[in-house]
Amino acid sequence: MATETDTPTDTPANTEGTGAGEIEARVGLRYTLRQVRRDTTARIGIYTIGFITVVAVLASIDHYVFGYGVAEAIWYSPVQDPEQVERLLPPVGMENQFGQGTLEHPMGTDHRGRDILGRLFYGTRIAITVGFMATAIGLIGGTLIGAISGYYGGWIDDVLQRFTETIYAIPFLVLVIAFMTAFGRNLTFAMVGVGITSVPVFNRLIRSRVVSVREEDYIEAARAAGVKDRNIIFRHVIPNSFAPVLVQATLQIGVSILIVAGLSFLGFGAQPPTPSWGQMLSASRNYMLPAPTFSIFPGIAILITVIGFNILGDGLQDALDPRINN
Amino acid sequence: MGLLRYTLWRVAQAIPVLVGIITITFFLANQIPGDPVEIMLGPSPAQGQVEAIRARYGLDRPAYERFLTYLSGVVTGDLGRSIYYDRPVLEMILLRLPVTLYLTVSAFLFAIVTAIPLGVISAKRRNKPADHVSRIVSLIGVSTPSFWIGLMLIIVFAFHLGWFPARGLPLPWASPADIRGAETQLQVVWTSLHHLAMPMVALGTLQMAQITRIERSSMVESLQGEYVKLARAYGVSESKIARKHAFQVAQLPVITIIGLGLSTALGGAVLTETVFEIPGMGRLIITAINNQDYELIMGTTFMFGVAFVVGVIVTDIAYAYIDPRVAYGEET
Amino acid sequence: MSEPLLSVRDLKTQFFTEDGTVRAVDGISFDVHEGEIVGLVGESGAGKSVATSSILRLVDSPGEIVGGEIEFKGETIFGLETGDDGELRPRDEMLTEQEMREQIRGREIAIIFQDPMESLNPVFTVGGQLREFIEINRDLDSDEAKKEAIDMLREVGIPAPESRYDEYPHQFSGGMRQRVLIAMALACQPDLIIADEPTTALDVTVEGEILEMVTDLQERYDTSFVWVTHDMSVVAEICDRVNVMYLGEIIEQAEVNDLFYDTKHPYTTALLDSMPRPDRTVDELRPIEGVMPEAIDPPAGCRFHSRCPEARKVCREVHPEPRDLSEESEAIHAAACVKHDAFDVGYDESQPIDTQAGGGFSAGLTETGGDAE
Ligand code: SF4
Repeated sequence: MATETDTPTDTPANTEGTGAGEIEARVGLRYTLRQVRRDTTARIGIYTIGFITVVAVLASIDHYVFGYGVAEAIWYSPVQDPEQVERLLPPVGMENQFGQGTLEHPMGTDHRGRDILGRLFYGTRIAITVGFMATAIGLIGGTLIGAISGYYGGWIDDVLQRFTETIYAIPFLVLVIAFMTAFGRNLTFAMVGVGITSVPVFNRLIRSRVVSVREEDYIEAARAAGVKDRNIIFRHVIPNSFAPVLVQATLQIGVSILIVAGLSFLGFGAQPPTPSWGQMLSASRNYMLPAPTFSIFPGIAILITVIGFNILGDGLQDALDPRINN
Repeated sequence: MGLLRYTLWRVAQAIPVLVGIITITFFLANQIPGDPVEIMLGPSPAQGQVEAIRARYGLDRPAYERFLTYLSGVVTGDLGRSIYYDRPVLEMILLRLPVTLYLTVSAFLFAIVTAIPLGVISAKRRNKPADHVSRIVSLIGVSTPSFWIGLMLIIVFAFHLGWFPARGLPLPWASPADIRGAETQLQVVWTSLHHLAMPMVALGTLQMAQITRIERSSMVESLQGEYVKLARAYGVSESKIARKHAFQVAQLPVITIIGLGLSTALGGAVLTETVFEIPGMGRLIITAINNQDYELIMGTTFMFGVAFVVGVIVTDIAYAYIDPRVAYGEET
Repeated sequence: MSEPLLSVRDLKTQFFTEDGTVRAVDGISFDVHEGEIVGLVGESGAGKSVATSSILRLVDSPGEIVGGEIEFKGETIFGLETGDDGELRPRDEMLTEQEMREQIRGREIAIIFQDPMESLNPVFTVGGQLREFIEINRDLDSDEAKKEAIDMLREVGIPAPESRYDEYPHQFSGGMRQRVLIAMALACQPDLIIADEPTTALDVTVEGEILEMVTDLQERYDTSFVWVTHDMSVVAEICDRVNVMYLGEIIEQAEVNDLFYDTKHPYTTALLDSMPRPDRTVDELRPIEGVMPEAIDPPAGCRFHSRCPEARKVCREVHPEPRDLSEESEAIHAAACVKHDAFDVGYDESQPIDTQAGGGFSAGLTETGGDAE
């Protein structure tokens, strides 16, 4: 039987006329990958994200294992200006306008003489970590709340739903700022805070599915046969929500990266000297007139990363839900 | 009348959410480490001064008691006193709130006015060049940080071209005496709009992009509706179908998205106000946090929540106004 | 007999999909005369709805009318000719899209859709929608159109039409909505109404009421109908003449009594056997075996051969076109089945073949698949 849910993220698992076996096949990982590979835009998204993630992993290794030793050895330190001089170099190609520009610093340097390209490289670390971690927190929290809420119903459902509604009612950024003020102004709490803001999204997705499944005939039958609801929910409903959750999570990573960039811009994210894009933009504000490129590049880095996640999310949606584009 | 009853019901429904917001903000504010009194009085306050101030602001009482006091205060319109500024919180908020609302509402107007035609054109010319352009524009729009758009606008249009001012946002109803270079009210309005242009675009772009996407997909769906087939079969012209028959139904998801987008937009206002140095609610909450000003933090957070809740109620009523099924009680 | 009101000749409508060309309507011909109710019967997927939207030239992309002729009251709704360059092109007298909209749709040919729940626009009042279509198609001003709309609502049996005029579709029951759609069609005073399974979504009692009302109104307004349905009992109740469709083709065409009492095509027989009748017990009710193949790749020969209990080898080889099998003095009764002597292709000598109807499934012939409609 086809179930009707009210969310637009309704997926093939719910389309009419698909047999049970087909549902499994269609939401399975391999099916997803095959569909995505056929979709050009989704592929571009995967390449973009893949590239940035590789850079982020390399940057993390250099940071944690070598303490920026690799960067320093072959290039320069992303956190310190060895000469401690204040200088702003323009990128290559802008020499005539600003007088200088060297191949050593293809995107120029920031106000403390640090190479912008290098800091962008090392900024991927924060962006990617935060994007994935915050989404994972929201995903786990939202799934748990949604499943418990839909499973127990009654007053538990009411309380939990009012709670997520309330979270939703405070504008994201304001909520995270207040949260970080209370618990700590560092990256960990930024991730947790941003994660919390996405709890309602995943909660709604999972809860509607649990509720609709609870009312299905075959669940009644299974229950009569002594199968525990909990097993039904955790073995059946949640795995079957794979497709919409994947789409939502991909898009949510992009959103999280944007929010964290905004937080860093306000001074609530990664603290200097750790390179992060938002904080670079924040620093660049004082130099917009003499060195506009300082403001341009970090923004482009954010833009490209978030576009990567957005087109992958859209591509997944198209691949998994043929109804939208046909 | 269905609509009126629906409105009242919707407002009543919001009350628990508002209480929830107060609870959360109160809880968060209580977690804040550090002592506001110490910040206020400096490192070595005089004997007894700390205690006196604590007693004055009720900080010496247990948390639940303060919560109840705060709650009853909110009901009577008293949001407490800012410890740092020693002024009523409500008074400070009322000074800043209009600026933020002015900015946010304009951003939404900008977004709606541009997005709806874009989305409709996109849907009508699906998979044609116009559609691709509009989809790429909206993809970039949802992926760009609003504050960066602000920075770029400042660099190009304020610093290099000099067309728009880079900072500040006078209100259009401000007195001409307060605005430099303005003598008549009309000039004030003009100055205000002149200042508004860039922050409005910066804040509105994300909404514009999001509304365009929803408008497109919802219009595509609506154009395939049976009622559109019926209208066609009765000789209604394509342009009228797009303007009326398919259009009105397609606006329902758009309205929902506008309501939810308010959350992003109000949060985004904090960033936009920072970029353009606009003294609104966003700057107020940042200042409050930097000064560890409990009551002010609670008050501003609460106010942001109220603004969002009111916005959602307004969009819900707009929804009910367009979709008769809501006001007349049928589940949709 | 006089000139037909609507004449369809060799109409072909195809859908160009990724998986291939779907020949949804594959060369059908039929006439509708003034004051007649003509049935178009068949299982879902037979191409009935595509045929009706072709008549109004409202086939949605990727569908397209690719051949044949549709004439209505002497106007050419569709017609092709070969141009100087050898390519097919629309004939000069074929109505333009604008003429179709302004002169034909609603004004001359109105349609009643299958799904009364979805067909009315949920965000406008019932009266407003009715009034709009009346205004467009009858050149009335808005007050007159409103008056007309209310009269029409009363006519189709909606109680308190003045107050219900301002209500929204969701406040109407399914049967009431279908009445509204019928009022809509009648109010435009067309010469022909196409009813596309208008009672399928309704329960049986409501269906009966509506059928009764339609026959009644049809007599009073003398409107012609094309009545699309998959339900033979509906056909028996209201149609004058019937066209039975199978996989995009009309396989039998006859006056309603002839069709029921002198059935000439095995598919029609199967349809009749699957229909509950007062003179039969439930045990005698036999559903049609098998599933209709997809119109994307119709079987060669007679398209029904995969499911026909009387199929023989020759049925796989010869594709029968409908032929008039009636005696001279009788009304036309055409069927497309080679078992009749008129076809003379050696049916009697041919070997019977195994079909789904004969018990086993002929492997690979049928797939459970999407509906071509
Ligand atoms: S032609 Fe053959 S297969 Fe077709 S209906 Fe007649 S007997 Fe059956």
